[in-house]
Amino acid sequence: MKEKILYGYAGIFNTADDVIKAAKKVKSNGYEKFDVHTPYPVHGMPKAMSLKPSKLGYFALIFGLTGALSALLLTYWISAYDYPLVIGGKPFFSFPAYIPVIFEVTVLSASIATVITMLFIFFKFPNNAHPLNDTDYMKKVSSDKYGIVILASDEKFEESSVEQFFKSVNASEIFPIYFDIEELNANPKILEPKFLLFLLLAGIITSGATYFTLNKLLYMVPFNWMMEQPKLNPQQKSSIFSDGFGMRMPVEGTVARNYLPYAYKNQPEEAEKYLVNPLPVNKSILELGQKKYDIYCSPCHGYYGEGDSRLRGQFPNPPSLHSEKVRTWPDGRIFHVITEGQNIMPSYSTQLTVDERWAIIHYIRALQRSLNAKETDLK
Amino acid sequence: MSSNIELQFQKKKLPSKVFNTGIILMVIGLLGIILSYYENPLRSAYNNIILFLFLASIGVGSLFLIGIEYLSGAVWSVPFRRIPEFLSNILIFLPIIVLPLLFNMNNIFHWLHPEILKADELLKSKAPYLNVQFFIVRVIIFLLIWIIFYLILFKNSTKQDDTKDPTLTKKNIKFSAAFMPFFAITITFTAIDWLMSLEPHWYSTIFGVYYFAGTVLAALSSSTIAIVLLNENGYLIQGLKEDHYYSLGALLFAFVNFWAYIAFSQYLLIWYANLPEETIWFLNRWEGNWKFISIGLIFVHFVVPYFGLLSQPSKMNPKRLLFMSSWILFAHYYDLYWLSIPNFSKDSFIFSWNEISFVLFAVGILITVIYKQSNKYNLIPVGDPKLKRGIDFRL
Amino acid sequence: MSAVDYTQELSVIEGKPALRELDDLISKPLETKPDKKFYIALSITLSMLALFVIGLGLTFYYGIGTWGNNTPVGWGFGIVNFVFWVGIGHAGTLISAILFLFRQKWRTGIARFAEGMTIFAVMTAAIFPLIHTGRPWLAGYLFPYPNQHSVWVNFMSPLLWDVFAVSTYFTVSLIFWYVGLIPDLATLRERTSNKIKKIIYSIFSLGWRFSNRHWQHYEMVYLILAGFATPLVLSVHTIVSFDFAVSIMPGWHTTIFPPYFVAGAVFSGFAMVQNVLIFIRKIFNYEKIITIDTLEKMNKIILVTGSMVGYAYAMEFFIAWYSGIQAEQFTFINRAFGPYAWAYWIMVSCNVLSPQLFWFKKIRRSIPVMFVIAVLVNIGMWFERFVIVVTSLSRDYLPSSWGHFTPTIVDYMILIGSFGFFFTWILLFTKALPVVSIAEVKAVVEGSQPSHHNIE
Repeated sequence: MKEKILYGYAGIFNTADDVIKAAKKVKSNGYEKFDVHTPYPVHGMPKAMSLKPSKLGYFALIFGLTGALSALLLTYWISAYDYPLVIGGKPFFSFPAYIPVIFEVTVLSASIATVITMLFIFFKFPNNAHPLNDTDYMKKVSSDKYGIVILASDEKFEESSVEQFFKSVNASEIFPIYFDIEELNANPKILEPKFLLFLLLAGIITSGATYFTLNKLLYMVPFNWMMEQPKLNPQQKSSIFSDGFGMRMPVEGTVARNYLPYAYKNQPEEAEKYLVNPLPVNKSILELGQKKYDIYCSPCHGYYGEGDSRLRGQFPNPPSLHSEKVRTWPDGRIFHVITEGQNIMPSYSTQLTVDERWAIIHYIRALQRSLNAKETDLK
Repeated sequence: MSSNIELQFQKKKLPSKVFNTGIILMVIGLLGIILSYYENPLRSAYNNIILFLFLASIGVGSLFLIGIEYLSGAVWSVPFRRIPEFLSNILIFLPIIVLPLLFNMNNIFHWLHPEILKADELLKSKAPYLNVQFFIVRVIIFLLIWIIFYLILFKNSTKQDDTKDPTLTKKNIKFSAAFMPFFAITITFTAIDWLMSLEPHWYSTIFGVYYFAGTVLAALSSSTIAIVLLNENGYLIQGLKEDHYYSLGALLFAFVNFWAYIAFSQYLLIWYANLPEETIWFLNRWEGNWKFISIGLIFVHFVVPYFGLLSQPSKMNPKRLLFMSSWILFAHYYDLYWLSIPNFSKDSFIFSWNEISFVLFAVGILITVIYKQSNKYNLIPVGDPKLKRGIDFRL
Repeated sequence: MSAVDYTQELSVIEGKPALRELDDLISKPLETKPDKKFYIALSITLSMLALFVIGLGLTFYYGIGTWGNNTPVGWGFGIVNFVFWVGIGHAGTLISAILFLFRQKWRTGIARFAEGMTIFAVMTAAIFPLIHTGRPWLAGYLFPYPNQHSVWVNFMSPLLWDVFAVSTYFTVSLIFWYVGLIPDLATLRERTSNKIKKIIYSIFSLGWRFSNRHWQHYEMVYLILAGFATPLVLSVHTIVSFDFAVSIMPGWHTTIFPPYFVAGAVFSGFAMVQNVLIFIRKIFNYEKIITIDTLEKMNKIILVTGSMVGYAYAMEFFIAWYSGIQAEQFTFINRAFGPYAWAYWIMVSCNVLSPQLFWFKKIRRSIPVMFVIAVLVNIGMWFERFVIVVTSLSRDYLPSSWGHFTPTIVDYMILIGSFGFFFTWILLFTKALPVVSIAEVKAVVEGSQPSHHNIE
């Protein structure tokens, strides 16, 4: 037969006045390990039990400040460092706008963290294996009676003297409380294996569900409806047209805006005769010409028109623009070459507007003059 | 039994050095004010506005606190109620304090100048409200309302000391209820008239609420200073404990937060929308070295009182309460200064013997008023039926 | 003349019920099977909930085109319902947290129920931001989590501040409510003989054993949570008001919106709580716990907050004239005399006029009259949000852009259905958990606390 192990002695009281008077006497009688149980908090009991004030306020303050700081850092990092965007003309780090978010995060972190601290660290909950659980004592103090339990592990504990004590403070009932066998070895730790297993499972389930949702579910019907829209995407087939092409060429004879077809296609002599440079020669035209020449012509023709290409053999070097032939070509002929291309030189009509071409021609003339200057130019 | 209270409460006269301090400060202040008006009448007028609004906020705010006590049925504040009742006596002196302003209106308010009005269509459209006659009528009516309610509430309360008649409590509850709508209107339009119209193109619907927050803080903090000093030196009554102080501290804390909330709302909305006609008001308070005063306002009026009154023990500690309520009263004056003076001195803040004279006068007149009233009347409402419950109040 | 005796404290709980009586009374709905009245009520709310589901289903399937939103009225019933339900939630937190901070004992009978209402109201409200986007399954992007697209949320937008505010409000209210439930769940655990219920109560009460060493920390955390919940509830509706006030729309951009919205939220919330409590106290025989004095105090709060709302209307009006801005002045004239004038006048009569009747004590204490006034207040507050949103959007700066908003049948289904959603949760709540806080009520019954000299 197993001997029952004593947890402590309990005294039941009928009124709040009785229990608080008794609680004060427990302390003054030298008992240290005791507890008072009441269905609701009784005013003045912490003082009667000589309890130190709760430190949870400090925890709340620290958690709150941590939350505030984290939110501040998050908003700063996102808005001023990681992906700065100009929104509403405001500076990247717009502190007044972040105050609502920072405040909410402060409250959230302080509340959650403080409650978790209280429940899991201070109280060491959940704990349904405490010796007082599932006893008649608990049934009484959870409803309409007040109780004091003096633990057997207290130094001054002695069965008869404790009974005497309870009688002296007007307890209406006095009885012992024993450990249940399972409870004896129950020692709730925070890092219990069951809890860790639960955390692991929760982690697996959460990440699995997230992966499934974001990578698989969102691509399934109906969530993918907006991904596949009844509109034509580039290079998509189309059944409307007989040739099946979605992308269409413009109708024969379509001309782009501000575009005039080149009148002298394949006719260099006519271009020579009839095309005249309409632009005046002044500084801004020459600067425009220089700019465009440097961009489009210089890779092959060199910066000074000498044909010293910087393509290093990827493309054959063109003849110099300072040759007798080119110097005597009319502007119209050069315009024709730029527009149509010549030999392996491609057409530059798509890269240069008509005016730009004329400006380049003025610039080329300036270059040519620079290598064939006459004495009269010095004046 | 209420007769026990009377036996316990001994009416002690406040020491004469209180009176002397008050009178000396008043006299020095008054001399300074007169000199200041002689030297720079416009600057003095702006300071006079601050003085008027400061004392009005304490007086009317005290009436508000008394009214709230009656309407909510609160008991913890009953032993203290005489203090705000004494403070509201300052309302009697307000007509004298507003008089120099009424003579100086032309200098203070842009909307009075006919040349400005001729050119400014916007100001012309406000003329039905912003004109001399209506302005003065409003000032007079508001003062009358405040003084009449003060006299009624105070008379009933002091009469109850002698007759112990509980129906006087019922009467005061009814008058407090009637007072509240008048309070809301008069406080709002006082702030609009004296502060918002200094910058007549600017407007803000929350401005009345902003001044209201300052008003409650002014009344609470000045009452707390007086209560703590009187209680710690034994002039009130036995049995008032930390629990009573806690409620004062908690209210101060709550209204500091409320003021910050209103101030922030006003700022954030105007900053966000960035409309030039609204932002100009804040930009004026960022010019030159006004920016330091503006940043300072946040620290003085919010950050320091917030952390100073956050913990439970700090709200119950008389020394801490005395310090924080003095700080908050100073912060309220700072707030009024920040609202008013940038209209006078655009580029930089000014602070010199002119401003100090007005401050000295304000402090002096408040001390003198409390002294005089405490000589004539009891410092505790001995006839109030809730007094015993008030003294027995525990959290 | 029935004179009030000011020397005596008004008892919060009528009579002096024994503690066990309170246990029995409050646990009774949990220990008895639902009766016919419950099933009738549930069938009504479930049919409304069915309308909700259908409305939402149509919205998901066909898109936001099924709503009445158009250009220029891009915000319609969606945001009106959102603001309405968030407002209803505020009463609960105010009763739990703010009245606790003010040490008002009369809150104990109603706090648990009001908090429950807050949670359900916030749940209802949260549905609207989720469904109005058109692709609600992408709602995760509302939260700033690191992702491969390097896409973050826009911290400048008040709509994002709403996300933080409403989720924080829901979480903290839930925590606050749960912490309050722990001792009651423990009491139920000890009372019940049903094996399954005992396991459930044991799990959720976490093994609470009524130790005063625990009560001490518990009370501190309760105070801290109340201290946090108070600015939280003010901030939530403030942030909701920022949705409108940070814009430059006439009628929206006005600095008084934050305290005005908060006062309006408390106003409508208290009206809804009062309405539901009148039913609850009758059905469950809680008249001794939820007394007429409690209801009267709630009506006083309705009067005060209603007056604040009236003050805000007056201030908006005055400053609209004072500012001299034509668009602003037009907005207010348009509200009163334009195409939505009918909504405006419903709003004014329900919000400004009807609560003023609460100046009269007889009306404050008359159950049928106070019920009607509270219903009017709720109607008025819904219309207030409607007027604010729709009138400002339908006619703003450019007359050529003006347009009319007409709600569709889907809009109405969702509106009515949201009430079904809310009330279904409430009905289930009454049968699953104690709607009155057992521990808190016991603590304020006369004689439950030791006399003063035993405490000191």
